[in-house]
Amino acid sequence: MQATIEVSGLRKRFGPTLALDGMSFTVLPGRVTGFVGPNGAGKSTTMRVILGLDAAEEGQALIGGRPYVGLRDPLTHVGALLDAGALQPSRTARNHLLWLAHSQGLDGRRVDEVLQQVGMRSAARRRAGGFSLGMRQRLGIAAALLGDPPVLMLDEPVNGLDPEGVVWMRGLLRSLAGEGRTVLVSSHLMSELEDTADHLVVVGKGRVIADTSVADLITTASRGRVTLRTAARSAAMSALGHAGATTAVTDHDTIVVSGLSSEHVVAVLNAGAVPFSEVATYRVTLEQAYMDLTADAVEYRGAAR
Amino acid sequence: MREHLHAEWTKLRTLAGTGWLLLAIVVLTVAVSVAASAVVSCASEGCGYDPAKIGLFGVQVSQAVVAILAVSAITGEYGTGMIHLTLTAMPRRVGVLAAKALILVGLTLIAGSVAVLASALATRRILLANGFPADMLLLTSGPMVRAAVGSVLYLALVALFSLGVATAVRDSATAIGVVLGLLYLFPALILMVADDDWQRLLWQISPMNAGLAIQATTHLSSLPLSPWAGLGVLAAWATAALLGGGLLLRMRDA
Amino acid sequence: MSAIPRRSSHHAEPGTGRGGFGRSLRAEWTKFRTVRGWVVALTAAALVTVLLGLLSASSGHASCGAGPVEVACPPPLVGPGGEAVDDKFYFVHRPLVGDGGITVRLTSMTGQIRKPDVTPGRRNVVPGLVPWAKAGVMIKESTRQGSAYAAVMMTGEHGVRMQHDFTHDVAGRAGGVSRQSPRWLRLTRSGDTLTGYESVDGTDWTRIGTATLAGLPQTVQIGLFATSPGDLTVTQGDLGGSVAAARFTEATGEFDQVKLEGSTSGAWRDDDIGVTVGPDGVEHHPGRAGQSGGTFSVTGVGDIAPTIEGPTAERPLSGALTGLILVIVVAVMFVTAEYRHGLIRVTLLAGPRRGRTLAAKALALGLVTFAAALPAGAITFTVGGRILRGNGNAVLPVPLLTQVRIVVGMAVLFALAAVLALALGALLRRSVAAVVTAITVIVVPHVLATTSVLPDSAAQWLLRLTPAAGFATQQSVPQYAHVLGHYAPIAGFYPLPPWAGLAVLAGYTALALGLAVLRLRRRDA
Repeated sequence: MQATIEVSGLRKRFGPTLALDGMSFTVLPGRVTGFVGPNGAGKSTTMRVILGLDAAEEGQALIGGRPYVGLRDPLTHVGALLDAGALQPSRTARNHLLWLAHSQGLDGRRVDEVLQQVGMRSAARRRAGGFSLGMRQRLGIAAALLGDPPVLMLDEPVNGLDPEGVVWMRGLLRSLAGEGRTVLVSSHLMSELEDTADHLVVVGKGRVIADTSVADLITTASRGRVTLRTAARSAAMSALGHAGATTAVTDHDTIVVSGLSSEHVVAVLNAGAVPFSEVATYRVTLEQAYMDLTADAVEYRGAAR
Repeated sequence: MREHLHAEWTKLRTLAGTGWLLLAIVVLTVAVSVAASAVVSCASEGCGYDPAKIGLFGVQVSQAVVAILAVSAITGEYGTGMIHLTLTAMPRRVGVLAAKALILVGLTLIAGSVAVLASALATRRILLANGFPADMLLLTSGPMVRAAVGSVLYLALVALFSLGVATAVRDSATAIGVVLGLLYLFPALILMVADDDWQRLLWQISPMNAGLAIQATTHLSSLPLSPWAGLGVLAAWATAALLGGGLLLRMRDA
Repeated sequence: MSAIPRRSSHHAEPGTGRGGFGRSLRAEWTKFRTVRGWVVALTAAALVTVLLGLLSASSGHASCGAGPVEVACPPPLVGPGGEAVDDKFYFVHRPLVGDGGITVRLTSMTGQIRKPDVTPGRRNVVPGLVPWAKAGVMIKESTRQGSAYAAVMMTGEHGVRMQHDFTHDVAGRAGGVSRQSPRWLRLTRSGDTLTGYESVDGTDWTRIGTATLAGLPQTVQIGLFATSPGDLTVTQGDLGGSVAAARFTEATGEFDQVKLEGSTSGAWRDDDIGVTVGPDGVEHHPGRAGQSGGTFSVTGVGDIAPTIEGPTAERPLSGALTGLILVIVVAVMFVTAEYRHGLIRVTLLAGPRRGRTLAAKALALGLVTFAAALPAGAITFTVGGRILRGNGNAVLPVPLLTQVRIVVGMAVLFALAAVLALALGALLRRSVAAVVTAITVIVVPHVLATTSVLPDSAAQWLLRLTPAAGFATQQSVPQYAHVLGHYAPIAGFYPLPPWAGLAVLAGYTALALGLAVLRLRRRDA
C-alpha cells in the first residue's frame, strides 16, 4: 500500500459557516507533516473527513488511494488520535485497547506491546476514568499505534502532556516517520511543531495557505532580506535607499534591508564608506513565518490583541 | 432561598426539553384518557368501571413524562458536570434541592391541572355516550372533585419522588429505571402473589396502586386504603426519596 | 516498534472476506464484558427474574376440601392430548363391539340458567341455554373421564357440531332445534375412524366430519348425552385483575327414533359421568334421564371440553418484568455511553461501515441477553412449576414443546427488547429519553393491559399494536373457539398467537434499528 493521504477539493458547510473551502493537499510517507492553522481553520474537520466520520459535500479524501470506509481492518492502515477523552470511564486501559484490538482481528499480546510502548504498563489495569489528561493522551496514542499502521493522524497530541511527555512525543513522532510511516500531526501552535515537523500544511479559513517544507517556508518568509548591524544607522539607510532598497529599523544598531542581496549591500556600504559590523541573511522564526502567513486567515482574534 | 429559586427556575426554563415535556404531560394525559374512555362501554347498571378512573386513565401514562422531567432536572447536571458549578455557586446543597423541588412541583401542578381538567371535560361526553349514567359523571360531585384534584397532586408527588430517587442515584438511566420500575411493577407484583394478605399489603405500599386510590369514586369500601390515605402512601415514598437524596447530596462529594 | 510491514504477526486469524462482521461482533462483546456495572446488572436481571418467580410460586398454596380434612388438590384431569379437560355429562349408553353406529332425531333442547340472585338467599333460575350447552350422540372409549371420544351434537347457540377428544371441533349447520324443525344426528364407527352426519329430514344426510381415534378398543360405549357448562360472569377484582365466576346451568335434549347399528348388547345404562359428590355423599347438581316409548330425555350439567381455568404454568415468569427493566437500562447505556463519552467516534474508526457496526453491536447485545435470559427462564419455569405443584396447585399441564416455546420465547423476548432499547438509545442518543421510551412501549402496555382498570378490548389492542405483543409467547394454555372463557390479557390470554406476538416485537425492533442505522449513516459522528 502506498501510504499517502490525498485530500482534494474538500468543501463542507456547518450552517452558514464554510468550514472547508476547497481543502487540498497530499501527505507523503517518511516524514512528519505538521497540519497547522488557527483554531477554526478546518484542521479537525479535515481529519474527520479523512477518517470517514464527517461527510464532505464536495471533494474526496483518500488513504493509499482508497476512502477510509473502504479499508478492511482500518486501524491496521490508519491510526488516529482525535479526542483523548473518548473513553468509557469504567473500563480499564487494557480493556479499552482490547476491544479495539478484537475489532481488527488482533489479540491481547499486541495490546500489551503498545501499552509498553507508551509507558503505561503499570496503569494497564486501572480504570480510565481516573486518568489525567496526559495519561489519556498516551492511551490515545497507544490506540493509534495498536494496528501498527503505516499512516498516523494525531489531532493536537501534545495537549495536556507534561514537559517530559512532550519530549517523548517528539521522539516518538520522529521515529515513526523514520520507519517510513506517514505522520500527520495537527496543532494550532507552530512552536509545538518547530523541532518535529519536516513538512507543513498551513491552513486558514478552510483552505491550504502553504504546503511546504519547513526550510522553504522560512526562506520564503524571510523574503531574501538582509540584517545589517551598524553604528552609522542613518548614513547606511540613506546610502541603501539611494541604491533602491527599503530599510526598516529593528534595533538601535540593526536594520533589516529588503530588495538587495547581501553582496549588494556590502558593495553599496563600501562604496559609501559606511562602517558596519555585520551583514547577514535575515531569518524569521517559524512562528513569525506562520503568523505572517495566517495573519488574514485568523477568524477569532482577540479584540484586545 | 430566593436566589436559589431564581437560579433553578432559569436553569429549568432554559433547558431545551422542559416546554416539550410539559406539553407532553397535557397531550398524553388527554389522549390516553380519551382513548380509554372511547373503548369502554357501560351496557347495564352492572358495569364495574369507575368512570373517574377511566376518564383520568391518562395519568397512568403521563406520570412517566413527569418522571422524565424530574429526573432530567438533576441528572442533567451530573451528566455534564454542571453540578460542580451549581454547588460552587450555591454551596447550600439542600437549599438547591429544595429549590428544584419547589420549581418542579409548581410546573407539575400547572401542567397537571390543565391535563386533568381537559381530560375530565373531554371524557365526560364520551363516557355519557357510552352509557355511563350522568349522576356518576357529575364534575362537581365530591368524589369527582377529589379524583381530579387528587390526580394533580398525584403527579406532583411522582415528580418529587423521581427527584429524590434521581438525586440519590445520580445516573439518569438508572434513576428513570428505578422510578418507572417502582411505579409500574407493583401492580404486576400484586397479581403475582396468590396470597390475599400479601396482595393487600403490597397494594397498600405500592406507590401507584395506593396513590391512584385517590381516583376511586365507586366501590370505595372494597379498597384496602381510603383515597387520601392512599395518596399519603405516595407522599411517604416521595418524602423518603427526597430525604434520602438530600442526605446523600449533603454527605457525598459532588 | 520496527519497520512496516509486520502487522500480520499480530493477527489472531488470517484476514478473510467475512471477517469484518465477526470482528465487530467480538469487539462489542469485549466492550460489554469489560464494564463491570453492565455485567452485574445483567446478572442481576437474571437473578431477579428467578427469585421473584420462585417467590411468587411459593406464595400460592392451594388445598382441596374433602370433608373436614384438607388434602392436596388432585392433578387435573387430562384428555388424550395431554391437556387439562372437563369431562362431565349425563350419558345414556350401551356397549358397541366392532363397527356400528347410532342415528337419532333431536326434537327439542331446553335448559335453565342460574343468574345472580336478586333477593339474597333466593335462587334466581331462568329458562335458557348457554351458548355451548350440548346434547347429542357420542361414541366413547369408556366411561372413564378423559377417555377418547367423538360426538355429534346440537349446541345452545352454535348449531350442530362434531367434536372429538376435547380440543377438536367442526361446525355443521347453524340454527336451533324445535319440534317443528327437528335435527337428525348420526355417528358411525369403522375401525378407528368415526364419521358424523346430520340431516333435517332423516333422508338427506350431510357428512360433518371424521375423527380418527387411534387405538380405540374393540368395545366402546355408544349412546346419548347432554351437558351444559357454567354461565360465565367476569367482575373486576378489588386489587386489579378480574374474577371470573361460573354459575349453575343445565341442558335437556329430547331424542326419538333412536336407531343403533352393529353389535350392541344389553340394555341402556345411565351414567352421570364425573358428577360431584359432596362430603355427605349427596350428588351436587346431578343430571337425569327418562325414557318412554322410544323417546329419551337426557339432562346434563358440566362440559366436555378443555379446561382453561386454574393456575397456569407460566405464572412464575411474571417476575421477568422486573428483570426486563434492568435489561432495558443496560441496553440503553450500552449505546448512549458511547455518545456521552465520545467513544462512538473511536468505534466508527474501528468499524467505519456504520450499519454493520451497529448491527454487530445489536447482535452482541441480543446474544448476551438471550444467553442470560434462557437459563433464568428455564430455571424459573421448571423449578417454579415444581414449587407450584408441590404447594398443591393443580397446574394446567402443558405439552413439552409448548414448555420449550415458552422458555425460549421469553429469552427471545428479552433479546428483542434489549435490541429495541439499544436502537432507541442510538436513535435518541439520550439515556433518559431512551429508557423511558423503551419501558413505555415494552413494559407499560403489558402492565396496563394485565393489571389495570382498562377494559378488555383496550387491553387487547394494546397487546396487538405495541411491542408488548411479544409477551404472548408466555401464554401456555391456548384459546379455544369452542370454549367460552374470559379470554382477556388480564386472565393471561393474549390477542395474538405466541410467534405473531414476537413477530410484532421483532418488527418494531427491526424498524427502530433501521432508523438508528439511517441516522448513524446520515449524521456526522
